[in-house]
Amino acid sequence: MFTRLCVFAALILAMALPAAPAAADTWQHENGSLTLEQPPKRIITLNWAATEAALLLGVTPVGVADLQGYHHWVRQPALPEEGVANVGTRVAPSLEAIAELEPDLIVTSAEMAPAESLLERIAPTYVISVYRPDINAFEQARKMLLTLGDMLDRREQAEAVLADIEQTLEHERARLEQADLQGRPVALVNFLDARHVRVHAPNGLYQTALDALGLDNAWPHDGNFWGFSVVGLEALADHRNARLIAISPTPPGLRDTLADSPFWTYLPAAQRNQVYQIDPVWPFGGAYQVKRLANYLTDALLAGGSDNVE
Amino acid sequence: MSSNIATSPLQGPSMPARLPLMAGVLWAAAILASSAPWLGQLSPLALLEAFIGFNADSYASVMAHFSWAPRVSMAILIGAALGLAGAVTQQILGNPLASPTTLGVAAGSQFGVTVASLFFPGLLAWSADIPAILGGLLAIAMVIALTWRLGFSPVTVILAGLVITFFLGATNMAFLLLKGEWLGNLFIWGAGSLVQNNWQPFLDLWPRVLIIAALMLLLMRPLQLLQLGETSARSLGAKVAWVRALALFLVVLLSATVVSRVGVIAFVGLAAPVLARLLGARTLGEKLVWSPLLGAGLLLLADTLAHWASTWGDGSLIPTGTTTALIGGPIILLALQGFRNTHHMPGQASSPPGFLPQRRATGVIAGILLVLLAATVVISMGWSPGLEGWNWTAVTNWNEAWVWRGPRMLAAILAGVALGLAGTLIQRMTGNPMGSPEMLGISGGAALVMVLVVLSGIEAGRAIQVLAATTGAAGALGLLILLARKHRFAGNQLLLGGLALYVFMDAGLRLVMASGGTQASKLLNWMYGSTWLVSETEAFSLMAIILTISAVLAVIVRPLTILPLGDVSASSLGLPVARARLVLLLLAAVLTAAATVVIGPLSFVGLIAPHLARVLGQQTVGRQLIVAGLVGGVLLAVADYLSRIVVYPNQLPAGLLAALVGGLYFLWGLSRHGKA
Repeated sequence: MFTRLCVFAALILAMALPAAPAAADTWQHENGSLTLEQPPKRIITLNWAATEAALLLGVTPVGVADLQGYHHWVRQPALPEEGVANVGTRVAPSLEAIAELEPDLIVTSAEMAPAESLLERIAPTYVISVYRPDINAFEQARKMLLTLGDMLDRREQAEAVLADIEQTLEHERARLEQADLQGRPVALVNFLDARHVRVHAPNGLYQTALDALGLDNAWPHDGNFWGFSVVGLEALADHRNARLIAISPTPPGLRDTLADSPFWTYLPAAQRNQVYQIDPVWPFGGAYQVKRLANYLTDALLAGGSDNVE
Repeated sequence: MSSNIATSPLQGPSMPARLPLMAGVLWAAAILASSAPWLGQLSPLALLEAFIGFNADSYASVMAHFSWAPRVSMAILIGAALGLAGAVTQQILGNPLASPTTLGVAAGSQFGVTVASLFFPGLLAWSADIPAILGGLLAIAMVIALTWRLGFSPVTVILAGLVITFFLGATNMAFLLLKGEWLGNLFIWGAGSLVQNNWQPFLDLWPRVLIIAALMLLLMRPLQLLQLGETSARSLGAKVAWVRALALFLVVLLSATVVSRVGVIAFVGLAAPVLARLLGARTLGEKLVWSPLLGAGLLLLADTLAHWASTWGDGSLIPTGTTTALIGGPIILLALQGFRNTHHMPGQASSPPGFLPQRRATGVIAGILLVLLAATVVISMGWSPGLEGWNWTAVTNWNEAWVWRGPRMLAAILAGVALGLAGTLIQRMTGNPMGSPEMLGISGGAALVMVLVVLSGIEAGRAIQVLAATTGAAGALGLLILLARKHRFAGNQLLLGGLALYVFMDAGLRLVMASGGTQASKLLNWMYGSTWLVSETEAFSLMAIILTISAVLAVIVRPLTILPLGDVSASSLGLPVARARLVLLLLAAVLTAAATVVIGPLSFVGLIAPHLARVLGQQTVGRQLIVAGLVGGVLLAVADYLSRIVVYPNQLPAGLLAALVGGLYFLWGLSRHGKA
């Protein structure tokens, strides 16, 4: 019975998915469609989620938006130091620089909608937004990875990457289960200054990691379409059960300011020594960031917390 | 300063009872609203005790003591400080639109904090005051340096302050756009947040505020003499310039100290003195007492509303700067009623000597500008950086280069021309050197709708953007016509109405900035002009619009020469005043809307170009129109070119570069003519 189901599923998959793009192939995307004669060799990615996806598939883009920013904020998967051109900022890339690189595929999001017709003049443009209202970011990131896998004729690699992410999540969940660390909800925050934090909301990418790890998000409200809310630190105090996960980097001097503040020392999480600090992860990237967060988070929870950030 | 005397009779009627009454109502409402959410958990007495200490066993008491009570105290202290600073500023400059913000202090402080965040983060952690105060002093020093020789005449100071605000504001925006991820805290800071979790900031702040306020009150008598008008004050022995400079210095110190703690709290400094005056404060003493009191009440109320909105929604922080702007807007609208009798702004009659430069032949000036424009076009098309370095594109290859460089350049030039024309129209029509499409609120209306689109999360294509901007501009225009009709299209009411619109736009912008992170960058890009998005079709349709309107203008230039003479003279010369104003207003609005879509609402070319035309010696309307249009075109052509090349392959919005380039040139012109 099981084998028959598998065969059946494989048949459906084979019918539903486009064959390897030997001849011209057409894909639907958010704002139209694109046709590729052959797998593209020269890709330009106009946001960091797309850059990440290309790198995960083993394809180094010829040009990316905000090259230095990627090195500083996203870091992993690593972008080679040489041979990748910067095409400008993520909100206003230089069309001329893009054209000069003669790409055969441009990957961008619906944020760039006003520039789409101009981008189409340069090369086939694949529009996919990981972040948009009412859409699960991880599902979108997954879809982007698989579709790019098809376009670039690297379907297996895409599936392998996703399988690896799922495996990691299961593994980390098991570690947490074993140590019995899933009980209390966690609040994932980036400190903006000593008074304000970005708290990652249930509609964000990180929720996927929390769900997979069997952890509850302490913050109950949906955030903006990037999946976070900017809140005053005192808003976290209402969630007395929560463990506090501070994502690096934190502003300079934060540790001292907080230590001096009776408010902070009375904060339930600080009183219980349940403040954890983890390495930087880019919250607005693609599927790979979920894996990184799961790794760091599990390690931090197993290592134990303290009463302050580092 | 004639109208100052008119609005402040020395032996006028005593202060009406409604002033203390209204202030009492405001305070009562604010305190009640602020404490209401706590009364479920704590008794009123326990809540009062939260100002002194806390009960470690009750978490609600801990929270009230470390979060709520310092926040209330902060709101009252800061509201009072800003109200006082605003009242003193309006006194010094004799101008109802004056406030520390108008003088560039807020922009300067933000500049200081931005630079510190990027380059000296350690300094910021050690003391946020220092960079903010240094920035504020830098701004005011620039204003003073520019206006020193002109004896701080009110209009000049306000103008210089505005230009400095634009200039430093544009620099701040450039940093935010290029380094936004590094400046996450500034997005909140720029919107103002009174969130507290400690008493320390309040304990640090109140002695400083008290000392500076006391020093300000010592200046009260000399300031009172200023109220008599400049000439009388001088004859009474007050060194007008020095008193102004000293008072200004204190204003900066006070505003920057406050701002460094909680960020830019918009419009309290402007709204509180206006409200005090509306409610009947006449003498300087009354204003200095009631402005801080009203400011404190206003800010406490606004901050409570912000806090409520935060907790009622999805918990996401609503910055206090947003609600103060929302409250400040209606007050400025109310002020339209209050200033009904003020037909021109104080100080307007005494036009600064710097703006009466030598006449020059229009042909020569226009010729030079055309040559400049042609040179810019050639360089812009030909000489450009690529990924491999700079190279020169031969004329034969220009048809290829045109695709990327042509439409944006053409659109930029046209937008510049449009803003130059619109600015001249508005300045002539209102007879006010601060008049410009930006100040009229047409651009603000267009931007407001754009902000709403971004807030709603719609991914706007180009067509939707254009539609949104046009809707906004038309809406603003409609509102202005309504307001203006009521006041027979008198100049200052229009400006104030425009300012109110701008305030609302500002509120939305602050909200997006504080909550959005990357989303805000997108909006900022548009706000400062995304010429890179312009297609060929758009550029050519813009050309058609501008040419048509220019033709119409050439026909009806006459009313413009007569209107500034005053309604009575204009009517007696046979001009249907209201209708003429309406037509000119409409033309200016269409020009502005067309330009705003391309260059965003904040380029300030509409303010700068007409001035440059005057500095270049063009005094009659027709000549000023021609030269201002050309100046605008050159300015934005250069700005568009620079925006493409200075940080290649990154792009800066062209409007931002225009504000920088135009601001620099304007400053230079101002100081040069100050010396002459």
